[in-house]
Parts: sequence; C-alpha cells; structure tokens
Amino acid sequence: MAPFLEAVVVRKNDEIAPDISCVLLEAPRVAQCLEPGQFVHLLLPTFDAHILRRPFSVFATDAAGGLIEIVYQRLGEGTRFLAELQRGASLDLIGPLGQGWRAGANTRNALLVAGGIGIAPLNMLAAQLLTSARVCLITGAQSAERIVSLRLPSSVASATTKTGESRLTVITTTDDGSTGIKGLVTDVTGELLAQQDFDYLATCGPEPMQRIVAAHALAAGVTCEVSLERRMACGIGACLSCAVLTRDGTRRACVDGPVFNAEEVLW
Amino acid sequence: MVSALTHTHKREAQLAVTLGALAMKNPLTVASGTFAAGREYAELWRETLKQGAIEQQEFSQEILDTKDKPLSLLGAVTTKGVSLKPWPGNPGVRVAETASGLLNSIGLQNPGVEAFCSGDLLWLASQEVPVIVNVSGHAANEYHAVIARLEQESTPSAYELNISCPNVDCGNMSFGTNPRDAERVTRVCREATVRPLIVKLTPNVTDITEIARACEAGGADALSLINTVAGMAIDVRGRKPVFDRVVAGLSGPAIKPIALYAVHRVSGAVSLPLIGMGGIATAEDVVEFLLAGATAVAVGTQNFRDPLAIPRLLKDLKVWCHTQGVTDIHELIGGLR
Repeated sequence: MAPFLEAVVVRKNDEIAPDISCVLLEAPRVAQCLEPGQFVHLLLPTFDAHILRRPFSVFATDAAGGLIEIVYQRLGEGTRFLAELQRGASLDLIGPLGQGWRAGANTRNALLVAGGIGIAPLNMLAAQLLTSARVCLITGAQSAERIVSLRLPSSVASATTKTGESRLTVITTTDDGSTGIKGLVTDVTGELLAQQDFDYLATCGPEPMQRIVAAHALAAGVTCEVSLERRMACGIGACLSCAVLTRDGTRRACVDGPVFNAEEVLW
Repeated sequence: MVSALTHTHKREAQLAVTLGALAMKNPLTVASGTFAAGREYAELWRETLKQGAIEQQEFSQEILDTKDKPLSLLGAVTTKGVSLKPWPGNPGVRVAETASGLLNSIGLQNPGVEAFCSGDLLWLASQEVPVIVNVSGHAANEYHAVIARLEQESTPSAYELNISCPNVDCGNMSFGTNPRDAERVTRVCREATVRPLIVKLTPNVTDITEIARACEAGGADALSLINTVAGMAIDVRGRKPVFDRVVAGLSGPAIKPIALYAVHRVSGAVSLPLIGMGGIATAEDVVEFLLAGATAVAVGTQNFRDPLAIPRLLKDLKVWCHTQGVTDIHELIGGLR
C-alpha cells in the first residue's frame, strides 16, 4: 500500500502514565490499512518553526471506528507540543509507512520483549499473533506506574489454548521492583528462551536493550525482529536521513524498516 | 508543448521558461537530494488523490491533468547527486532540526552512475518530465567521467554540477570555494557535453559573484544557488557535536534571506539564467526569487514538511499571477522595481 497524506482530527489526548500520553486520532483511511509495526508521520499544527514531521508507531487501530491510537513518551519539544493538542484539533499525517513485523501465520509461540515505550509497536503485533499463536510478553519500565498495559480486542484477550490456558502470558519487570520482577527485560529474556520453545521473537525499546535481546535470540536459534528508531526527514524513502547499517548495505529505517531482521543489523 | 491545463484554465499566465537550451513548462524544479528521483513523491501524490484523504483541494486538478505521470507537472526533476562509484554516505546522525531550518549530513549516498542509469534514470525516461541529473565528484575527471557515461543515455535533459556540498571531505565544496577550480571543473565538464550545464554554487564563500563569473567563463549555461549553509549542532549532554563530521548543511526557511540576496547579487554579476533555491515554502517565496533575478526555482526542504508542496505551489503560483494580473512569468523575472 503506497503511503498517502490524510487530514486527521484529535478525538482524545490523555496522560496515561508519568510522561506518557495516548492520542486517539480520527484517521479513517489509514486506520483501514495500517499493519502492525508500521508508523505514521505527523505534522503538528502551529508548530511552524519546527519544520519537520514527527514519526510515531501506532499502538492500535480501529478500522470500523476509523481511529488510530498513538502511545508516546513526552521526551522532546515535539511530543510535549503534541500532548497540548485538545479534542477537535486538526493535523495531517503521512501513512501507512514502513515495513512492519513479518511474524507470519506459521508462528506458534512468540516472545515479545518491550523496553519502556517500546511497547508501542508491539501491541498490534500481540493482537495479530494471538488469533492463532501463543504469545509471551516481557515488558519492563522504571516503575509500576510507567508500565503501559496491552490493550487487546476482547475476542483476542480471552483466547485460550486447547487445554484451556490463556494464550497470553505477561511478565513484568521494573528497575525498582515496584511490580513484577526487579530487574531488566534483558535479565529475563535469556532464561525464558532456554526454558521454552519459541519460534519468533520481536523486540522494541532502547537500542542497547534490543541488541542484547537480539543476541539472546540468535544464540537460541530463534528468528528475531527488531524495530529501530532514527532521526527522519521525509519518511517516504527519498532523503536518506534515517540510515541503518546492515549486512546488505545502508538501508532506510522509513521504508526498509523500521522493522529489521536482527541478523541483518550491524549494531 | 501545450498542456491540458491551458484549455481547462483559460486565463492562466504563461509560465514556461528556458535555461539555456533547457525548456521548462513552468519554473518549478526540486532541490537535489530532497526528492530522490521523484518516484516516492509521485506515488504519494497518486495515492493521496485516490484515497481522497485530504479535503478536495484545487491542486488535485494539477495532478489529475498529468494523466498518471504526476512528475510531469514539474518544470524539471532534479535528481539526487550521482557519482562515478557508489558512495556510502556519512555515518552517525544525518539530520537535525533547528529553528526554521534543517541541518543535514547525508554525505551524497548514492549507488553510482551505472546503477543510476539502469535504475532511477530508466524509470524517469517514462515520466514525461525534463531531467536534470545532479553530478558529484572528488576530482574534475570524476565529474567528467560521470557525464561521459550519462551522455550514452537519452534521458538527461541537463546536468547540474554539485561543487558546493559541505558534507564530503574531498572535492565538492572545495571546487565551489575557489574561482580557479570552479572554472576548471566547469570547463572540463563543458568538453564532455553539449547539453545544458548548470553549476550549483555554495554560499560559504567571501564573494559568490566571483565564483559565478568563474563558472560563466568556464562555459556554464546556467547557475543554481544556493546550496546549504555550513553549520553545526551540539549535543549539550554529551558535550560533543551532533554530527560525526562536525559540519552539516543548513536548509529551510531559515536560509531564505541569504539565498535571496545571493540570487540578487549574482543576477547582477553574470548574464546566465539562474535557478534560485533556499527555504522556498510558499508561492510568494517563489515570486520573491523570480523578482530577485531567478528564472526558475527549486523546492527542497519544504517537500519533507509537505510532500504535496510541489502541486500546491504550482496551483498557488497560478492563482497569484492571476490575481496580480501577471500574464507571463517573465514579467516577474528580475522584475524588482
């Protein structure tokens, strides 16, 4: 699907955790076709001295309702400005952009590893995989209040295996131990890979974390995909700003990624 | 060539211009490196219309009139820089936003002239738009060799010599900051082709008119200006430059006054037609560059903000001419009172 420009409207924009917000956009066309792991490139209104768009992963889509949901961390000027937008604000976006997850319908038992806001592109993937596979999610943050929960369609959330177990397992880690296991997602990943027979791993979060997770996966012989972030200008593959070094030469995070096979990436 | 537009909008201004032997149906092209070869933008324009995903804007007609060759609404496409061998581009961070501007350090990443001929150039051959191929090199003989290879192809309508990129170590901007070298590389390339030869100038010099005159003496048919302004950014937490090479090129609205003044001065110093560029975002910006002395203009960084900038600007320019009673774009070129 070629990307296009769509005029969109803010339906809701709320803080859901310290420094983390969720914006719901009326984007009826992109909502129909955006796939898990793809992103949109937002032009923030009245932010004129900031001439670039801002790329965001999409947390969830509602095709019937024509909505897309973006969970974002307020880190820089762009995201702080985005957090100010009220219901009814108009903006535009380019989407759907990028190569999403290639998990495939053959996946039976998937491990997803999210570091902090890295949960954003994994939520849609979890929903997609749970229709036919078992999913284990390891999600970590500094503290309990910063853990962003999965939000799945109810039909998917209640899916069970033949033996009646839930198809979804969630393991939480926090730096301060305020919930779940005290430690990092990377501490748990290796152990889990040794215990269970996963056939696919997807990860997103800070790049050093992704690199460690990928190393665990490759050591265990599990196919691993990572989702990389780069500074980006055009978002459609023309400007070559968002270079990612791979075995296959320099690739573009915006069209060849953001999802890459971990084996290809030269970290 | 009489376009369908002439029939649909009866009182439209005459927009066609020529740069030496290069005929453009309107003065709009793109700044090299911001548009690749145009394929991504052409697809986005087409899909946006198909989806009806923005309010039905008047400029939709500009795209529809191209009959599925969307790039043909441009006066010319200017390609990303092409070098003799593949260039990998620069490591590290490649772009940083600044107030009303953009710093880049892409480093002219490109697959080399051979891959360009069998890839982008082949695709452009069917797009019904004049093609200005931007040429880069580390030495005069490399520029010559790239042009010699391109001479075997029928698609290039003109060449633009990049002697002004601040983002590569050897060659490029060093040619553009020294009048003797600028004249020599222009002359060497002149010997390789009879096609229109455009030389792109850097603002990072003491006197841009000196370089402009040198390129004229070397046999250039036209000049384009300005390339990016040398600048840097600092990561205060790490206390180190944002870019690995320290220097980067500043573009966007922040540099428009610099570009405009450069065009104004160069237009008084040489008799060559000019392509003006630097921060163009609106039709009035286009008119400013024309009044300053440019015959054509290039849109660069604005394409990132608004990927539909080109069709929007074309429509707005027509409307501006209409409301101002301009019947021929030449009334504006160098038309400062």
